[in-house]
Amino acid sequence: MRGFHLYVLAAAALLALVLAGRMNQYWMHVAIIAMFYAILASSWSLLAGYAGLFSLGHMAFASVGGYTSALLVKWLAIPIPLGMAAGVTMCFLLGALIGFVCLRMSGPYLAIFTLGFAEIVRITFSTEDDVTAGMAGLHTEPLFNAVSRLPYFYTAFGLLALALALMGALARSRWGLFLRAIREDEQAAAASGIAVARFRILVFAIASGFAGLAGGFYAHYIGILTPSLGGLDLMALLVVMTVIGGMERLPTAVGGAVAVEFLLELLREYGQWRLPIFGVILLLTMRFARNGLLTPIWLQFVRLGEPQLAVATVPAPEVEGKDQRA
Amino acid sequence: MSENGCLVQGAGLTKRFGGILANHGVDFQVDKGDLIGLIGPNGSGKTTLIHTLTGHLASDSGHVTIRGKRMSGRPAHVFAGMGVARTFQLTQLFGRMTVLENLLVPGLSRPRSSWPDAIRRARGYLDFLKLGHLEHLNAKNLSGGQQKLLELGRCLMLEPDVLFLDEPFAGVHPRLRDELITRIQELHKSGRTFVVVDHDMESILRISQRLVVMARGRKIADGPPSEVRTDQTVLAAYAGL
Repeated sequence: MRGFHLYVLAAAALLALVLAGRMNQYWMHVAIIAMFYAILASSWSLLAGYAGLFSLGHMAFASVGGYTSALLVKWLAIPIPLGMAAGVTMCFLLGALIGFVCLRMSGPYLAIFTLGFAEIVRITFSTEDDVTAGMAGLHTEPLFNAVSRLPYFYTAFGLLALALALMGALARSRWGLFLRAIREDEQAAAASGIAVARFRILVFAIASGFAGLAGGFYAHYIGILTPSLGGLDLMALLVVMTVIGGMERLPTAVGGAVAVEFLLELLREYGQWRLPIFGVILLLTMRFARNGLLTPIWLQFVRLGEPQLAVATVPAPEVEGKDQRA
Repeated sequence: MSENGCLVQGAGLTKRFGGILANHGVDFQVDKGDLIGLIGPNGSGKTTLIHTLTGHLASDSGHVTIRGKRMSGRPAHVFAGMGVARTFQLTQLFGRMTVLENLLVPGLSRPRSSWPDAIRRARGYLDFLKLGHLEHLNAKNLSGGQQKLLELGRCLMLEPDVLFLDEPFAGVHPRLRDELITRIQELHKSGRTFVVVDHDMESILRISQRLVVMARGRKIADGPPSEVRTDQTVLAAYAGL
């Protein structure tokens, strides 16, 4: 049966939603933060994994989205969802601008450029403490006036599902194919009729918009926003999550974010030593499983319920190349 | 060929890279139905000319027209959309995408194209190029000759009027080279226009109806192969005189 894995995923999601109420508050918080990172990891996967644009400014966009929403809600007393939408719009436009400015950059040049952008954002939020409260932290309006975290869990779940549905549709469309072609060879993509500049700007804007969505949710969940949200530490963590999971597929990036976030909590008793553990896992992943640790598992999972000869009938966008020389 | 039959024209094309004059006032016209062989010693400016005529490089002076429309400053994908396809000197495929996906990219870049139609056309061209059985392989896993064929297939998916092939026979096994020549000749008979750049004189002379020779950034000869082969300027250029 084709699409069997989708039924399994839907059943698991339903089970998680039903059983969420039985989770204790601590693990529910971990799950909510994991979903926050999952939105960021999947959108970064769209940018770096699909389009090959290795940006180190993704957490800065989350920070911009968070501060935009928090400040607009504070100053204009607008509804929080409207503030979050403003944050998404701001990040979309800023992402398009950054995408335009670094059109001719790739690889390490793009990484350094976006790192510089992230530092400008972080330092601006730190020093403009009249507006942002600087490192003291900006107190934000909570999304729900409830003692339980359950409404936040459902909201995070809904936002993650929405983000994955939209990005998944993009990745499976012809635009997704064009982004992968641009990643492989920009000159050949242009010779194939692809408007490379337009797609690079577009994917920067879309990925940044989703980062802004995650940042907006985080701002109104956590209650206090500091400039460190856009810092290099969290960006490094996001890279670790996405690469360990598998950066060239949205589900594996999500899996990486959830797995690393939960493992970080499970290994808390090891204190700071848990971080080098992830460094070692990252090194081993890059050495032995460049497509991520979860990618082979995901590919097996996707083939669940498919007959052995179904490969020939799989639609083109889903076809997996085999690593064997003809 | 009449003015109406002119597909691509470069007029007075000059391109300089630092102190090197790669093209110097080159005039080049491709008419409908041509099968042009473009030859010249290494560094004579052939690839620069192809880059300019296909929108991958902007010339310092002179201009390019496609069917009479000036293309100055237009990006390469606009040239592709107007029926000008090309391959590259060093094969440039989408290596970690499947053979089929490599063809779907140009197929779906065309306006009003659909997935089923693009897949049907891609499979048709793969069969034509004898690559049909490899459609699920990643392009990087093909042999050198198969990669050249796939790059030709990618051009064909644009349904182009003119194809610029940059060194299609370089490093290709003789059997696959013959295969490639046969395909080019078949496509030419079906109405496609070709400009083929290569150092393989035997292959170029086998297929060309018109031969253009470049040396030191200039066009030094342009005419039927039988005449160009005996041209003293050409012989001198190849002898390094």
